[in-house]
Amino acid sequence: MDTFEEFLKRVITIAFWLLLLGPVIVLPIILLVLPQFGVPVEVANRFLIALINPLGMLQFIDSLGLGPSSLFFKIAAFPGFTFAALFATLVILYERKLLAKMQNRVGPLYAGRFEGILQPIAELFKLIFKELLTPEKADKPFFWAVPFLAIAVGGAFLALIPLSPEIYIAKSEIGLVIIFAILSFTPLIVLTAGWASANKFSFIGGLRALHQLVSYEIPLILSTIGVVMLSGSLDLMKIVQAQASMWFILPQFIGAAVFFVTMLAELERIPFDLPEADSELVAGWYTEYSGMHFGALQLANYIKLYGFSVLFTLLFLGGWNGPAILPPLAWLFMKLFIVISFILVIRGTNTRIRIDQLIKLGWVYLIPLAFANIFIALAVASLGIV
Amino acid sequence: MVDYFFLVLSVMTVGAAIIALESRELVYGAISLVVSLLGIAGLFILLDATFLAMLQILVFVGAVSVLIIFVVMLVRREKWVSVPSGYGRVAGLLVSILLIAGVGYLAMNSGIATMFPSSNSVPSYVDIGIKVLSDYWFPLQILGLVLASAVIGALTLAKFEGAEQ
Repeated sequence: MDTFEEFLKRVITIAFWLLLLGPVIVLPIILLVLPQFGVPVEVANRFLIALINPLGMLQFIDSLGLGPSSLFFKIAAFPGFTFAALFATLVILYERKLLAKMQNRVGPLYAGRFEGILQPIAELFKLIFKELLTPEKADKPFFWAVPFLAIAVGGAFLALIPLSPEIYIAKSEIGLVIIFAILSFTPLIVLTAGWASANKFSFIGGLRALHQLVSYEIPLILSTIGVVMLSGSLDLMKIVQAQASMWFILPQFIGAAVFFVTMLAELERIPFDLPEADSELVAGWYTEYSGMHFGALQLANYIKLYGFSVLFTLLFLGGWNGPAILPPLAWLFMKLFIVISFILVIRGTNTRIRIDQLIKLGWVYLIPLAFANIFIALAVASLGIV
Repeated sequence: MVDYFFLVLSVMTVGAAIIALESRELVYGAISLVVSLLGIAGLFILLDATFLAMLQILVFVGAVSVLIIFVVMLVRREKWVSVPSGYGRVAGLLVSILLIAGVGYLAMNSGIATMFPSSNSVPSYVDIGIKVLSDYWFPLQILGLVLASAVIGALTLAKFEGAEQ
């Protein structure tokens, strides 16, 4: 039995020796072998220099078209996937610590010296080394496809969300519509997961998720129509630009509230976590998923949490607008922190609602409120306030 | 490049549609229906109609096919194998040939000779909105009435079902 820290220490030691001994053995082989295969000596030399010199490495990567300004870097690293995944793990840690403090517990404590700060990494290692179990009667192609599809939907969602006027992956004239189109794949994936697992808990969870996602998709889309009317565009960049003088949460308060509630339902979080109700359905539609499959589904869920929080910030809280004493990105992340904290506090203080209450809330209250919000937006726009 | 995409999308659309009809397992049929609808969305994107493609995904993949799959999954224990009579098969063939010929005739005569846009200005979603609310307001009203009557009909059927029990 050793602690996670000792494990990390051993991993780092092995990596250190590999990095030290590797060049001593591998470099001469490369130097001798590569010219035999007709590779020009300059390219080999550049590669070798790049291995030793970090700045040269950056230039080498840049010359391959993978530098920080390239599309690949944007998708894979900074505003894209890696950044969102790291952010998601941070959110998981923050959620566990915050909930623990709210419930008078200590939360994760032992991994890492300070307050269990390495707990997400420890759990990632645990999930990677776990066995991937597939139920005997499961529909194997669909069962194995679901985690990949979930991650793909999360990643595609991220691609359309700008973080500042310069930092974005893809921008489109109809960005908001594309985001909703991508999100509409979720019920399909959830239902397929529930069915392919051949487990009644999974199937019931999938059906509940289907009810919830299909009925809450309507108020989700309707609540953003007011914002689109006030800004006159479906482009998220222009929507943020239109909020330079006033955030849309003021004239569109009902819309923001409806969007926030439906956002919680789309993310399947408390008080709307019926699809994964842990006390009655084990884990809902992902009961049968183990190991890194489960990790992928959780990661997709937290990436969507991040994406939805940024979307709320962009649509209603003015995005990266703010006094110029701080860079735009700092303003965005301050607002993002507040939104995510709000979501987590709601998780810590509420109970799960019943399925009939859920459906009634969606169809009887949220949809009429969203329509009322559209008329408010119409009145505000025609009076010329915004 | 566009040609290859067109070829792949066409094969995907038509092939998945054939699988959807011929598959013994109903769920596989429903999923391949989704693939076919996605192929149609891809064809829309090739025609520079991104907005229509997204609406296609939003409505058909996100809503219609989910309901179909939902129904199919609930009845998966039963086998629905119906063998149509020879008369019905001939009639179906005739109707489908007529339909394809009619749609083809309309498409040939509509002046769309190429998939490349004739001018550089692709109509945006704003133009679509203005057209729908000005020139085509009457069909829009009719569509709304049809949808409302369908909803009322569905509600009535559901109520009768409850009353009998």
